[in-house]
Amino acid sequence: MTPNLEAAEKTRGLRGWLDRRYQLTPLLEFLRHKEVPLGSHWMGWYYLGGITMFFFIVQVVTGVLLLMYYQPGEATAYESIRFLTTKVPFGWLIRSVHSWSAHLMIISLTLHMFSTMMLKAYRPPREVTWVSGYLLFLLTLGFGFSGYLLPWNKLAYFATTVGTNIVKSVPFLGNWLLQVLRGGQDVTINTLYRFFAAHVVILPLAFVGLIGLHLLLIQRQGMAPPLGAKTAPRGMKFFPSFALRDVLLWLACLMALAGLAVFLPYGPGIPGMDWELGEKADPLAPAYPGIKPEWYFLWEYQLLKEFPPHLFGLEGPEVCLLLIALLFGIWALIPWLDRRAYRDKPSPAFNDLGWAAILFLTFLTLAGWDIGARGAGSELSAMHNVARVCAWWTLAAGVVVILIRYWRFEDRWFILTGAVLLHVGLHGLAGVPYLLAGLIAVVVAAAAIAISCVAGPRGDSRDAP
Amino acid sequence: MRTIAIVFGLFLIAVAGFAADQNSTGAASKLTTMLAAKDEKGKPIITPEERAYFDGLNDNLKGLLNQAVQKEWITRPEHLAVLLSLGLRPQKMEVLLQNNCVLCHSDSGNQSAETLFTTTSTATTPASHMNLKEVVEDVHFRSGVSCAGCHGGDPTADLGHDFVKEWPEKDRQKNRAWVVQFCARCHSDPAIMHEFNPSLPTDQLAKFKDSPHGRTLMEKHDDRAPSCVSCHGVHGIRPAKDPQSKVYAQRVPETCGACHADPKIMAGFTRADGSPLPTTQLADYRASVHGQALLVRGDLGAPACNTCHGNHAASPPGVAQVSRSCSLCHSANASLFDGSKHKHAFDQHGWPECGQCHSNHAIVKTHDSMLATGPGQLCGDCHRQYATDNPECIKTADYFHETITRMEQARTGFITVSEKLAAKGLDVEPISNELTELGDTLKKSRTYVHSFSRSTFQQVALPGEQAVQRTDALVKKAREEYKYRQIGLAVSIGLIGLLMLAIYLKLRQLEKE
Repeated sequence: MTPNLEAAEKTRGLRGWLDRRYQLTPLLEFLRHKEVPLGSHWMGWYYLGGITMFFFIVQVVTGVLLLMYYQPGEATAYESIRFLTTKVPFGWLIRSVHSWSAHLMIISLTLHMFSTMMLKAYRPPREVTWVSGYLLFLLTLGFGFSGYLLPWNKLAYFATTVGTNIVKSVPFLGNWLLQVLRGGQDVTINTLYRFFAAHVVILPLAFVGLIGLHLLLIQRQGMAPPLGAKTAPRGMKFFPSFALRDVLLWLACLMALAGLAVFLPYGPGIPGMDWELGEKADPLAPAYPGIKPEWYFLWEYQLLKEFPPHLFGLEGPEVCLLLIALLFGIWALIPWLDRRAYRDKPSPAFNDLGWAAILFLTFLTLAGWDIGARGAGSELSAMHNVARVCAWWTLAAGVVVILIRYWRFEDRWFILTGAVLLHVGLHGLAGVPYLLAGLIAVVVAAAAIAISCVAGPRGDSRDAP
Repeated sequence: MRTIAIVFGLFLIAVAGFAADQNSTGAASKLTTMLAAKDEKGKPIITPEERAYFDGLNDNLKGLLNQAVQKEWITRPEHLAVLLSLGLRPQKMEVLLQNNCVLCHSDSGNQSAETLFTTTSTATTPASHMNLKEVVEDVHFRSGVSCAGCHGGDPTADLGHDFVKEWPEKDRQKNRAWVVQFCARCHSDPAIMHEFNPSLPTDQLAKFKDSPHGRTLMEKHDDRAPSCVSCHGVHGIRPAKDPQSKVYAQRVPETCGACHADPKIMAGFTRADGSPLPTTQLADYRASVHGQALLVRGDLGAPACNTCHGNHAASPPGVAQVSRSCSLCHSANASLFDGSKHKHAFDQHGWPECGQCHSNHAIVKTHDSMLATGPGQLCGDCHRQYATDNPECIKTADYFHETITRMEQARTGFITVSEKLAAKGLDVEPISNELTELGDTLKKSRTYVHSFSRSTFQQVALPGEQAVQRTDALVKKAREEYKYRQIGLAVSIGLIGLLMLAIYLKLRQLEKE
């Protein structure tokens, strides 16, 4: 008989009863000794994963409640949501919390992903944790996209038509994929049925499986210690210190959700973050101008707009989708690409890659929002205005980021951030077409990296991404 | 010998066949040469668009073109270019290619400027009737009536001009009365019209003859009066439903205004009472509610000149007929007015019913303030001048004005409130339903003002006043609901806050230990 079982034999009551059957003591011992490593960075980044999970739990709970009233169907989908929000007690609250929580989940998940990236928590042995988290991120976007259509209102209908249309540009498989996604040539009630199935069955099953793996890996391996330290110099007890702090934050999030749901029941009023039910979808009605996807898809939407109709003998959107796939691929493979972090050494180039990615997305998202278009006479001058205003904002943000990194974190590697700012500046301020400006920036960045490799005084040649 | 005869016979047949083939190939090659012809600068005369049009033609049309070239109706590439540049649909092209008159008169090589159909003249150039593009769009041309229908002769026969017999050569420009009779040869004959358009009436001449226009033209022989072509055009006549027709609803005001808004043309014409006929109608109409609806908003249900004045029998409606014209559309208002006290009073004064308050060509959008009784306002001014012995009327007008204004103000206010409540996420559907009812009642009440009866109006306005009260209650309920939500939120936040405080204290205690 093992010492654990002997100890369990001695324990009385329910605890002993459970312990004798399920050997809880080793688990409890593990939890009692579990520690969260503390480092030089801000502790706050550690909570983002938990917060994301909290929002996911809220999504499950409110989603199940919505499911009790929602009836997918041509004559019922819109009507049931309308009934739910107007007649069912607290129905409005459930829908509003579900929508708010969805957006906040994507925000916290994005922050979680970028903080993990910057802190290099993906380095061995946690590569699979990164990949599982990355897949969870993609699934979350899938949740957002599929859930958007379910109320079957005008806005959702046209946004889904535009959104699914992008799939057509996937080389070779485009038309087939479009058929699979829409359940036919056009967005019809059949599309709603499969989006519904995806939103409430397929995606949740996949998500729960992946989140189980993600959490198991985190519990098994512990949170990543700060870079360069094999074992953390200090640690915080997971139970109760970290767990209670988690709960405190979750409660604060719940408070925020309740407040937002009451005071801004249809969102903050920003395009792409608005869920007022409006009119019912009418497939025969003409599409109205200015349809925008949800804010987290805006950058892709804007990037597609920046591509000419034809490029390198392919359709412009096809090339754009290939580029997006390439960017997503690079992002998934970061743990293997970042060789210095792999060896537990600082990798400033990948820090810079993270910031460059943020600035790249910032410009496209702002431009997708048409910031600066107001007051312009023609469509063309509006386009130039948008590019200029968004470039100024991105440049300002970029300069602030560089200064903070230089003084506060003593970073000295800015080639990729610089390239993105050069790209944005050339396009927005000098009027160079987006793709040409991008090409110039890539060439300049490549040259700069080559020079730093050859001349590298600090021997940082291996930083090159 | 027999063999030689057979061989010789076969040889003859082959030669004949070859010769026949040569003949048609010759015409085809003529057309091919024309299509490939270049000008002095070496630029192709047939443009790529014209060439593409030719390539798209069916075999029948290509055959007809070949035939025209063969018969030398088309001899020059420039002429061919003009015909191809029209880009006609097959049916029209077939009619055109079988029409010798148009083929000959569209060749600049053998026509003078007066007799040449061109594609360059426009509706504003002096020779607008010589626009080839218009000629091929003409409703007569499309129906196969074409040139000979009016000018006489046989368009498929050989050329020559001695057949223009039915055309009055002398004084035809000076006295245009003959035009009406000329068109009426077909348009007043049901048997002929039945062949082309059985639904078209044949009473135009009868109506026109008795109209002021007709009498001026046909009895007084005053050429300022219009004939058929003044409104319908000459070679580009289109059906009235065609938006490019001069008598299409939206173009009628401009067509009538061409004369009626021109003081020079209208000089000397008078009304029945002897006063000069004004020329401000077009400007007045354009600014009016009807003009705005038809010309700006494109509402083809809105009246143009002919809706009230008639078409071929156009005449000014007399005092008694004004309300009949208006009642064609505004029937509810008209029947209420007919049953009201005002009907008798207006008749006594000889006032043109609707026109007295709403004016005629310059009719503006009605406004609730028309019902007010203060100085300078419609009801008040008129009643102070003509109905001094009946102070009750002023009170009734005040009642109409107050009731409608109150309901309108309530409706506007509720709409704003309802939008705010909707933005707060509250259910405003019941409010919207009440507002729809209120809106309907308002519309009805404004109509029932024309009964000029307090009790009749009251019955109609009552549901609106009740809707106002119900909406008020619904707004209060929605506001309470919002308050309830805020209180609920405050309580929840308080409870969550307490729980957070407890956890925080526990955490501190644990960490101290």
